[in-house]
Amino acid sequence: MSTERHEIKMFTPMTIVLLLVIIAGAVSVYKRMTLGLGAATNLADDFPWGLWIGFDVLGGVAMAAGGFVIASAVYLLNMKKYKPIARPAILTAFLGYLLAATAIFLDIGHPFRIWHPAVMWQINSIMFIVAIHVILYTTVLGIEASPMFFERIGLKGVQKFVEKVMMPIALFGTLLSTLHQSSLGAVYLIVPDKLHPLWYSQTLPFSFLVSAIMMGLSMVSFESILSAKFFKHPVKMDILSGLARGSLIATGFYFLLKIFLLVTGPGIAAALDGSMEARMYLLEMVVGVIVPLIMLAIPAIRSSMNSILFVNFLVICGIVINRLNVSVFGMLRHAKERGFSYSPSVNEVMVTLFMIALGIFLFKFAVKFFNVLSCEDA
Amino acid sequence: MATNTATEKTMPDQSAKKMEASFLIDTTKCIGCRGCQVACKQWNGNQTDPTKASPTFTNPLKLNSKTYTNIAFFEREQNGAVSWDFARNGCFHCKKPACVSVCPVEALVKTPEGPVIYREGRCMGCRYCILACPFNVPKYEWEKLAPKVQKCTFCYDRLLAGMLPSCAKSCPTGTIHFSDSIEKNLAEAKKRIAEHPGMYVNHIYGEKEAGGTSVMLLSALPLDQLGHLKVRDQVLPDLTWKYIGGIPAIIGVVLAAGIGSWVITRRNQNMDKEGDE
Amino acid sequence: MTNHWIDLKNADVVLVMGGNPAENHPISMKWIMKAREKGGKLIVVDPRFTRTAAKADLYAPLRSGTDIAFLGGMIKYILDKNLYFKEYVANYTNAAYLVNPDFRMPGQLNGVFSGYDGKARKYDKKTWSFQMDDKGLPKKDMTLKDPNCVFQLLRKHYSRYTLDMVSDITGTPKEKLVEVYKLFGSTGKANRVGTECYAMGWTQHTVGTQNIRAMSIIQLLLGNIGMAGGGINALRGESNVQGSTDHGLLFHILPGYVPVPSAALPDLKAYNEKFTPKTKDPKSVNWWGNRPKYITSYLKAIYGTSATKDNDFGYAWLPKIDEGMNASWLMLFDQMFKGKFEGFFAWGQNPACSGANANKTRKALAKLKWMVNVNLFENETGSFWKGPGINPKDIQTEVFMLPCASSVEKEGSITNSGRWAQWRYAAIPPIGQSKPDTEIIHELYKRVKKLYQTKGGKFPAPITNLTWNYKSKGREIDTHLIAREINGYYLEDIFDAKDATKQLGKKGELCTNFVTLQADGRTSSGNWIYGGSYTHKEGKIINMMARRGKADPTGLGLFPEWSFSWPVNRRIIYNRAAVDQQGRPWDPKRAIIKWNPDKLDPKTKKTAPGWEGDVPDGPAPPMADEKAGKYPFIMRADGMGSIFGPGLADGPFPEHYEALECPIQENLLSKTKINPAIKLFHDGKTGAPEDIYYSCDTRYPYVATTYRMTEHWQTGIMTRNIPWLLEMVPQQYVEISKELAAEKKIVNGERLKVSSARGELTAVAFVTGRFKPFKIGGSTVHQVGMPWCFGWFTPKDGGESANLLTSTIGDANTMIPETKAFMVNVEKV
Repeated sequence: MSTERHEIKMFTPMTIVLLLVIIAGAVSVYKRMTLGLGAATNLADDFPWGLWIGFDVLGGVAMAAGGFVIASAVYLLNMKKYKPIARPAILTAFLGYLLAATAIFLDIGHPFRIWHPAVMWQINSIMFIVAIHVILYTTVLGIEASPMFFERIGLKGVQKFVEKVMMPIALFGTLLSTLHQSSLGAVYLIVPDKLHPLWYSQTLPFSFLVSAIMMGLSMVSFESILSAKFFKHPVKMDILSGLARGSLIATGFYFLLKIFLLVTGPGIAAALDGSMEARMYLLEMVVGVIVPLIMLAIPAIRSSMNSILFVNFLVICGIVINRLNVSVFGMLRHAKERGFSYSPSVNEVMVTLFMIALGIFLFKFAVKFFNVLSCEDA
Repeated sequence: MATNTATEKTMPDQSAKKMEASFLIDTTKCIGCRGCQVACKQWNGNQTDPTKASPTFTNPLKLNSKTYTNIAFFEREQNGAVSWDFARNGCFHCKKPACVSVCPVEALVKTPEGPVIYREGRCMGCRYCILACPFNVPKYEWEKLAPKVQKCTFCYDRLLAGMLPSCAKSCPTGTIHFSDSIEKNLAEAKKRIAEHPGMYVNHIYGEKEAGGTSVMLLSALPLDQLGHLKVRDQVLPDLTWKYIGGIPAIIGVVLAAGIGSWVITRRNQNMDKEGDE
Repeated sequence: MTNHWIDLKNADVVLVMGGNPAENHPISMKWIMKAREKGGKLIVVDPRFTRTAAKADLYAPLRSGTDIAFLGGMIKYILDKNLYFKEYVANYTNAAYLVNPDFRMPGQLNGVFSGYDGKARKYDKKTWSFQMDDKGLPKKDMTLKDPNCVFQLLRKHYSRYTLDMVSDITGTPKEKLVEVYKLFGSTGKANRVGTECYAMGWTQHTVGTQNIRAMSIIQLLLGNIGMAGGGINALRGESNVQGSTDHGLLFHILPGYVPVPSAALPDLKAYNEKFTPKTKDPKSVNWWGNRPKYITSYLKAIYGTSATKDNDFGYAWLPKIDEGMNASWLMLFDQMFKGKFEGFFAWGQNPACSGANANKTRKALAKLKWMVNVNLFENETGSFWKGPGINPKDIQTEVFMLPCASSVEKEGSITNSGRWAQWRYAAIPPIGQSKPDTEIIHELYKRVKKLYQTKGGKFPAPITNLTWNYKSKGREIDTHLIAREINGYYLEDIFDAKDATKQLGKKGELCTNFVTLQADGRTSSGNWIYGGSYTHKEGKIINMMARRGKADPTGLGLFPEWSFSWPVNRRIIYNRAAVDQQGRPWDPKRAIIKWNPDKLDPKTKKTAPGWEGDVPDGPAPPMADEKAGKYPFIMRADGMGSIFGPGLADGPFPEHYEALECPIQENLLSKTKINPAIKLFHDGKTGAPEDIYYSCDTRYPYVATTYRMTEHWQTGIMTRNIPWLLEMVPQQYVEISKELAAEKKIVNGERLKVSSARGELTAVAFVTGRFKPFKIGGSTVHQVGMPWCFGWFTPKDGGESANLLTSTIGDANTMIPETKAFMVNVEKV
């Protein structure tokens, strides 16, 4: 087992750009915290949830799905091949959840009451279920990621102990993730007449879960390849190919699910009527499902790192578009009928960029100070 | 029966088994005086927003955190004859409110007397209620740093004190008809439609909408022409209940699959170790 | 109101014309809607489709200022189609009276009645008289066929008001005219009743009084006066404007509608001779024959022990007006404009916005040395010196602001349109330094009196002799004592003049009612019509106005135990006209009163024939009773409803004249274009430029009218300061038709300049289908309308008063300004 850390230069031009974005974003965060939601966002009564919920929370949580996908593969299904990418995947998920929680903190009207659901239970509420899952799963991810920390500060015993009990923890994490990913879809079950029929269905929770798995696989693969490129950390091709195969299966299943929902729901014509919603739906499907599916079906592509990187990128974009479609684009029509049109404010965009930059920065920071990428024990 | 014509002393009847506050709003009687809009603001001490002259007369144009109820004006012309209709907006106090069901912290509650009320100390501001309400009723204090969700309270405080809700109290024509029983108001609505078949569309808005509401509307025009949304008859919280009800099953499946694979994994691991040794 | 608010529910047909109850009297709609629920019909006639029209069964538009043409057409229709109530018309009105054969009508005299003096703009009313028989009673033709009888003259006069003519003048489509006439005319039957609701839409015209006269004629023809659900009802625009008129607010009347003496009447005897009507008809009650009792009791109330028989009860101390002098609003401000006043109390009013031709009013204020502004809020009047276009340096007027208490901060009575005096209590003490009006007046009185006492003066007696006994329980002014003074006291024991053993009143007690008032100084009463409002009953003092009994024995909503309704708690006046000559109700289902020959006296258990129901217009038996029967209209000297009304300045029958500013070259009906009896402030050539007017002028091509709406009240002083109300209607607007908007390329919601010969303002365009162009004499006439509730003082971008545009002209009888019809232009800014 190697404990050496990679020598990573902290202040590359890229990092400086990230830091500038973070500083600019921090101004927007400050604005939101001192002036309130009305001043900082374009949200209104006719459109109470915007970019932060759509991208930072729904997108962010989906992107964090790699954590539970790999954790269950490694710790539950004993696919040891993927152990090398478990740490980055869990770290990504942990950061993803922390950032989603930060986004929620900023998005709710009373940030300092974010703990309320933990105390004031209302089990009928999907939001309560979501909140409890965020709290529990972030904790679980923290535990899952903690060996890196204990290793770094030299508490080998604790590290070993945590790694010993990793399996039940991973099991709990998988359960929470399954529920959490699907319950984010369930959030929208209550708005059958507000969410456009291209996205609304009773199976929203299941769609969210399946697409989260797709997203998780792509995300893990994606960051492995990027880490390989940026941190000069080689990644085994058979891991990538394996992930790509997994992606193929998940994407294939998701494609069938989406087509089934389209046909039994609003009908194919609804996706082709040229409306904004139809175009967004096609974009989501073509970018995130159809093109990746075709590409992944080709074995040559599954064995090309650059091709896989591209497919991963498409899937990530596609699923993020899906989350934005459900939360923003699919809700616009109803708002428009009430004479309101939403587009995010500069502050909202800046805070979102802040989140992305912070995520990348923290990941890099972690890679530099913790043994993230080269854990190849057992 | 407590009605607008009853004196305040005899209403609402708290001694009777159970009060179930209800409005029957007959828009054909509304003269657009907006007494309800002002009385509501006065009782609740609500502020105003700066407005501009509104050629439709509706002002503010929509409900907001300072306006729990307003009158919307609809001018129409048909065959050269003009008509002017007035319709009241406000909370419907659903029997099974979506807002209450989605609130993670029980900040919104359906009281036993019928009003859906808000407990501001609990609210963390997730605004799911605003998203979920099929009638788009809850409003947010966007401009504030410690914002509250605002909506009609059915004057719960007045009801408990034996007084009519302020809007009903101020209504000069009996458009807003209070009863302590939804059933009684429903019967009254049906009676009015039966007695004046030409005067009303044969639809009691709120009888079935969203699974039934405490506030019901009668009108001469279909209510979607008076600014009210077409809302399905379904009890909306049922939609999420299906999912929530399925959670134990999900837990079972995931745990079974997880433990199963874990057991297999451990056995394999042990076999590997044995093989190594 | 002849009737009262609740009584509107008893009507079969409610005609709203000249008013807008849904917007300006929303509570009245409670009762109108109740009438509709029972199958009653609501007709709205208005230039604009109002919120009342929105609830109407029948709406008819008409051009502002053409109501007489509209109503004249209705009179013709009722007569032509025989819809009138014959028994009622013949027996209860002066329809059968024969008129002076020299009397001529506008149809014969180019639009004027006989006796017109064009130079003086005045009528000599000699020919407007009845033919008298040798007993001194008017000659009658009970068959109504004599060509000189009122009925035939009426028919002749309105024969000119054909449907085509009326439609051409009013712009109302003919079929709408017929619909309205037919529906309202249907109430001429005994079992159908129609009522009319009007407000400033009728009064604020140069023909305002005649508008109401025209409707009175219709209601008499249809037998609707005196009936439950009938009558002619002025919807008063302020909660207590009825009370203020009752108590003598206007320049020409003392409390109780007792005329103000003129300088030509040197003593009480001359006064009484002039103002006490006489009749030789034993069947006529002629209630005003009691006037000497009321003026004497009034003098005793205000001058107390100083008023003695020897000094004519202080008659000499009453202020007198010059013979023929008019001291109404327009004249006051005209005089002020001419610099004839030094000081001015603007008390609870805002003339800088409320008065017609507000620019002239504002200029007039600048001529004052001092002004006292008594109001709840600072307003445009008190701040006129810093108003738009005025340099404060140029203004010498010293302005004092006295904040006064609002209605909920003081105790007292309020008299509503239905003549109910209702006692109200103070909910909270006055805020800050504000004081109730009575206390301000009290302070003022004390100081003025002291000045007269210490420094003397030209004529101190009216002030120094005033009674002022309102102190009680540590309060300087006790409203209850004022109310008691208004009711009046027995200053001596009073016995029945016919039966000296029967005591009517005990010395020192409050009067039971005005019937026992005396003309010899033994009683006092500050306002005879309020006699019985605060009284002694079984040894106890009872404030009748504070009563809140909810009994409704007739089921007609009279609520006789709720508050006090003058006179003598009568809820519907002229109610004796609601029964036939035998005292049987015309409509038994709406029996407001009925004669019961078998009525039992509850005390003696003996038959004592009498009336049941409302307090009747006098206890006399029905008209058919040969010995004691009386005519129904007791306030008329002849006891009859006046279809022919010679009392007015501009003709015994209403005749259509155009508004001072109108869109057409000629009156389509005659050669006389405007009311010939109105006082002109500017004759077209000479006069102050402020009083200029332009009729049928291409620069000002659109008819305009002003109005109120629910959200604001009067000039808006009380409502513009309430954010909840301002939020709903924050800015001055002008409502224009879609057609006019299209013609002038005006976009809904944009700012427009509205201008008249006298001023201009900007307003937000409300383009609406609720105004439609009129077809007048074959050409298209547009009308616009705007509220008059705004002013420059507050809110910041609220806009200016619509009265900057209105003209200086008043009604021929009342001088109420014509703010409901004038000419403007609208342009994009």
